[in-house]
Amino acid sequence: MNLKDKLTTGFFELENKGELHIDDSIHPIRTKAFEAFENKGFPTKKEEEWKYTPLKAIINKDYEITNSYEAAVELNDVKKYFIQDVDTYKIVFINGVYSSFLSETTHSGIDVCLLSSAIKKPKYKLILDHYFNKIAKNNESLTHLNTAFTQQGAFIHIPKNTVVSKPIQIIYFSLNGNQFLQPRNLVVVDENSHVQILERHQTIDDSSNFTNSVTEIFAAKRAIVDYNKIQNDTEKASLIDQTFVQQKDNSIVSVNTFSFGGKFTRNNLEFYQEGERLESNLNGFSLLGNKQYVDNHTVVYHNQPNCESHELYKGIYADKATGVFNGKVIVHQKAQLTNAFQQNNSILIGDKSTIYAKPQLEIFADDVKCSHGCTIGQLDETALFYMQQRGIPKKEAHALLLYAFGNDVIEKIKFPKLKERITKLMAKKLGVELGF
Amino acid sequence: MSKYTEEDLKKELENQEYEYGFYSDLNAETFPKGLNEEVIIAISKKKNEPQWMTEWRLDAYRIWKNMEEPDWANVNYPKPDFQAISYYSAPKPKKQLDSLDEVDDELLKMYEKLGISINEQKRLAGVAMDIVVDSVSVATTFKKTLAEKGILFMPISEAIQKHPDLVKKYLGTIVPKTDNFYAALNSAVFTDGSFCYIPKGVKCPMELSTYFRINEGGTGQFERTLLIADKGSYVSYLEGCTAPQRDENQLHAAVVELIALDDAEIKYSTVQNWYPGDKNGKGGVFNFVTKRGLCETNAKISWTQVETGSAVTWKYPSCILKGDNSVGEFYSIAVTNNYQQADTGTKMIHLGKNTKSTIISKGVSAGKSQNSYRGLVQVHNKAENARNFSQCDSLLMGDKCGAHTFPYIECKNNTAQIEHEATTSKIGEDQIFYCNQRGIDTDKAIALIVNGFSKEVLNKLPMEFAVEARKLLEISLEGSVG
Amino acid sequence: MSKPILEVKDLHAGIENNEILKGINLTIKPGEVHAIMGPNGSGKSTLSSVIAGNETYDVIKGDILFEGESILDLSPEERAHKGIFMSFQYPVEIPGVTTTNFIKAAINAKRKSQGLEDLPAKDMLKMIKEKSELLEMDRKFLSRSLNQGFSGGEKKRNEIFQMAMLEPKLAILDETDSGLDIDALKIVANGVNKLKNKDNAVLVITHYQRLLDYIVPDFVHVLHNGKIIKSGGKELAHELEEKGYDWLK
Repeated sequence: MNLKDKLTTGFFELENKGELHIDDSIHPIRTKAFEAFENKGFPTKKEEEWKYTPLKAIINKDYEITNSYEAAVELNDVKKYFIQDVDTYKIVFINGVYSSFLSETTHSGIDVCLLSSAIKKPKYKLILDHYFNKIAKNNESLTHLNTAFTQQGAFIHIPKNTVVSKPIQIIYFSLNGNQFLQPRNLVVVDENSHVQILERHQTIDDSSNFTNSVTEIFAAKRAIVDYNKIQNDTEKASLIDQTFVQQKDNSIVSVNTFSFGGKFTRNNLEFYQEGERLESNLNGFSLLGNKQYVDNHTVVYHNQPNCESHELYKGIYADKATGVFNGKVIVHQKAQLTNAFQQNNSILIGDKSTIYAKPQLEIFADDVKCSHGCTIGQLDETALFYMQQRGIPKKEAHALLLYAFGNDVIEKIKFPKLKERITKLMAKKLGVELGF
Repeated sequence: MSKYTEEDLKKELENQEYEYGFYSDLNAETFPKGLNEEVIIAISKKKNEPQWMTEWRLDAYRIWKNMEEPDWANVNYPKPDFQAISYYSAPKPKKQLDSLDEVDDELLKMYEKLGISINEQKRLAGVAMDIVVDSVSVATTFKKTLAEKGILFMPISEAIQKHPDLVKKYLGTIVPKTDNFYAALNSAVFTDGSFCYIPKGVKCPMELSTYFRINEGGTGQFERTLLIADKGSYVSYLEGCTAPQRDENQLHAAVVELIALDDAEIKYSTVQNWYPGDKNGKGGVFNFVTKRGLCETNAKISWTQVETGSAVTWKYPSCILKGDNSVGEFYSIAVTNNYQQADTGTKMIHLGKNTKSTIISKGVSAGKSQNSYRGLVQVHNKAENARNFSQCDSLLMGDKCGAHTFPYIECKNNTAQIEHEATTSKIGEDQIFYCNQRGIDTDKAIALIVNGFSKEVLNKLPMEFAVEARKLLEISLEGSVG
Repeated sequence: MSKPILEVKDLHAGIENNEILKGINLTIKPGEVHAIMGPNGSGKSTLSSVIAGNETYDVIKGDILFEGESILDLSPEERAHKGIFMSFQYPVEIPGVTTTNFIKAAINAKRKSQGLEDLPAKDMLKMIKEKSELLEMDRKFLSRSLNQGFSGGEKKRNEIFQMAMLEPKLAILDETDSGLDIDALKIVANGVNKLKNKDNAVLVITHYQRLLDYIVPDFVHVLHNGKIIKSGGKELAHELEEKGYDWLK
């Protein structure tokens, strides 16, 4: 049975068990979403947005789709994946199931909890009715698929005028299995509030899970949201991460995506600018080897005047790794005085590594400053030689130069402990011990 | 081979008639509307083509029939009804006018602005010229010089008759019949075009131009150009004309194939100024062109284009850099105004080692037009040390137009160096006021700014084209800022 | 007495509903150098823009006569053709257009308005050579894109060069001294002085007295809140420098 059929059967099975019917207002959204998925199926290479990214190999595998179970995990085994030394809120999932043991949620002042429990509580009804599934892309069948099935995920609501003192960690662990997981996060940041969030996908053994995740982020007026993603699954796991951001006047939202792991990673990141004088920042860094595949698809919709967007994606591809960058900036006729900048730089170090880049501008307003740049190249041989001549071993010199290449993305992280963590991950991946 | 006589032809036709159960009145000047195998055969007969050519066309037709008109480009237009077009029409002699007084005023005004000489104006407008002899003698001298060098330059229909080996060897090798919808259609029905062959080591001493061919019948709706530069040769070829072309045909689907053998260089310059439609977007030519060149070792192909005309343009002059050390270049200015739509760019396919490509594309959008750059830079895994530099700049005038950039970069070799830059900006009111203050009126100021913006491309045009192209840019944008 | 070049009569002007100039009267005769001084926001740059015909500003009331005729209905280029030149405080950059080509376009546009043929290239080159020598300017910048990548000083010198080429009857120098060091200032002032003669006039607009040490005015006017509140000779400039603008308010 192929995955689509299996999902269809699974959907009805869950329906019959009543497991998908958590709430009356969400339920019809699910049913509709499933129909949409059923009609369209998985995207194929014939679609422009999937031109370079074949899903076939992934969806042809067999996955468990209904029986999610919590695997036993010892705190000591997973401790290293948390950002330590600083106090944080945590929402932790193991194979898609909420782990109250590892989590640290709150309802005092702010809400950091499970999405499914928020859906059940009348208190949150207003928020959910207002935000849930409002900006998730409606022409992408994978989004529909998530909407149809999703049960677990993080719910974060920051009320007006609140600076959240602790960063929030959302961590998805997976192990021993081949499950098809569909987490869903909803982040609502009200007027004049500030929050830092870290989302991490991490397999802790050799399991080959397939995750199809959707996150919706809403930033009200003057809100500041820093959202960081670490994707560090093992090289058997696949991840499709879809993140949608809506911004209102004077807000600043940054989404930083760091892709180190996974056999296959597809990131869809979309910004909808629905206010004036706001700023959207999209940064990404990929460091891949072997046969890893990462596809970063971004869209910024400049729908209002006087807004800015800054986009910087860098990638290093070793061995047979493949990178795709598809960045789109769409400036609406109304969006005069837009400043939009996009930059994509890649280094190919593997003999069989490949990069596909498609930086696009679609501009319908005239008083704008838009630019994009895209480069593909190698490390500077002269610099390498220079360093070697000064006694730095080639491997270290190489790593140092690659680190320097990625540094301006890492510098965008506003959270020092995370910066440290990313640097370490990078060193590990480059196979060197460097203090940087 | 024995001489092919009219008798032979008749016999052949009779046989074919039997074979296809079809008979067409060879004296008919215009075929009835519609396209089918019979029409293809009739075109081929009309052109007195050998059997292989007829088969070639039929094959293309069969391919085309199973294809769908592409819709991926960023253009919107009512899809032409391919069965409502007549695919063959003998070149009608232009109506002879007695003097320029009889010519459309608006057309004359444009000629004047372009600085076209009175004689040239007469020729373009179809006025009987008293200096025809002179013109013929120019053409004759020109042909003589070419013949001395062994350069073949003639209508493609003539080449099919006179140099079938060359045509057979190269036709459809760069743009296969299966390439795309319009290329397939062109392959099936083309009736006119140029053929050019530059022998080994010959540097063509003059700019070859379709300009000289005009008297031998106007360019067709489905033009086919085949240009072969043999080893170590050089040619610069000019296509088109800055003078406005008032063509009745709404659909143009040309195919151009260039072959640059080892160490050869081809410079191909185009000025396209087909009728763009009126201020309200009514009328205008649909221009769907497939242009591609192949570079063998150390060869170089350079495309330069100035696109100001047509209601809809769909055009990607490309280079296949097959040979090591080969070089591809693309320099383009596309100006759209009123309701024009242009989706144009290039493909640089790096196959050989040390191949190099440069793309400079300048788009100017005004009025309610949409102007898109679409390009592909592809580096294959064997293409060691490939280099590409691309720059795509857009200039916007007014808030009703759009400028779009769709570059595709595909790199499978880790020694490649690719750089792509794109910017979008507008003509500043401060720039216009500054010019005004120095006594330069707004139209002229825009022309000046656009010329400055397009300078890198204009500089690539042969001298005589460059001057006219500058003026053309000016005229195309006249009155676009109120 | 000779006929005035410029007469500004009870000029009220502004942007939309915001009146910036509130009744300016000013008469400039051939051979004269006038200076308009005033604090920031007094309307100095508005005055020069309105005389040059910048359509950002609306004339609400009053008139501007050039050689006895109203120019209010004329476009900026028509005013330029009549002989009004304004040196911009921030000269505009035009990528890809060389200074030579730009000045050629400007001169020929003016000639066309006078019913003359384009200036032959030979004469144009001769003129460029003469004027650049007169102004002691390096001709290298002429082949660079207009004002692009020019330093502040280079831009201002280029303005004076264009002024020399266009031979205006009235030159308005709008804050020409801003952003110039003393050497550049001297060169620019020197150029203006060389171009000055009994038939043309100069209107210097400045915040500081500094430039007026080099371009010595016959008349100094103090602009404040959209009105000329005091006029006098060159000594007024020194007085302002010492006492500031406040003593006049």
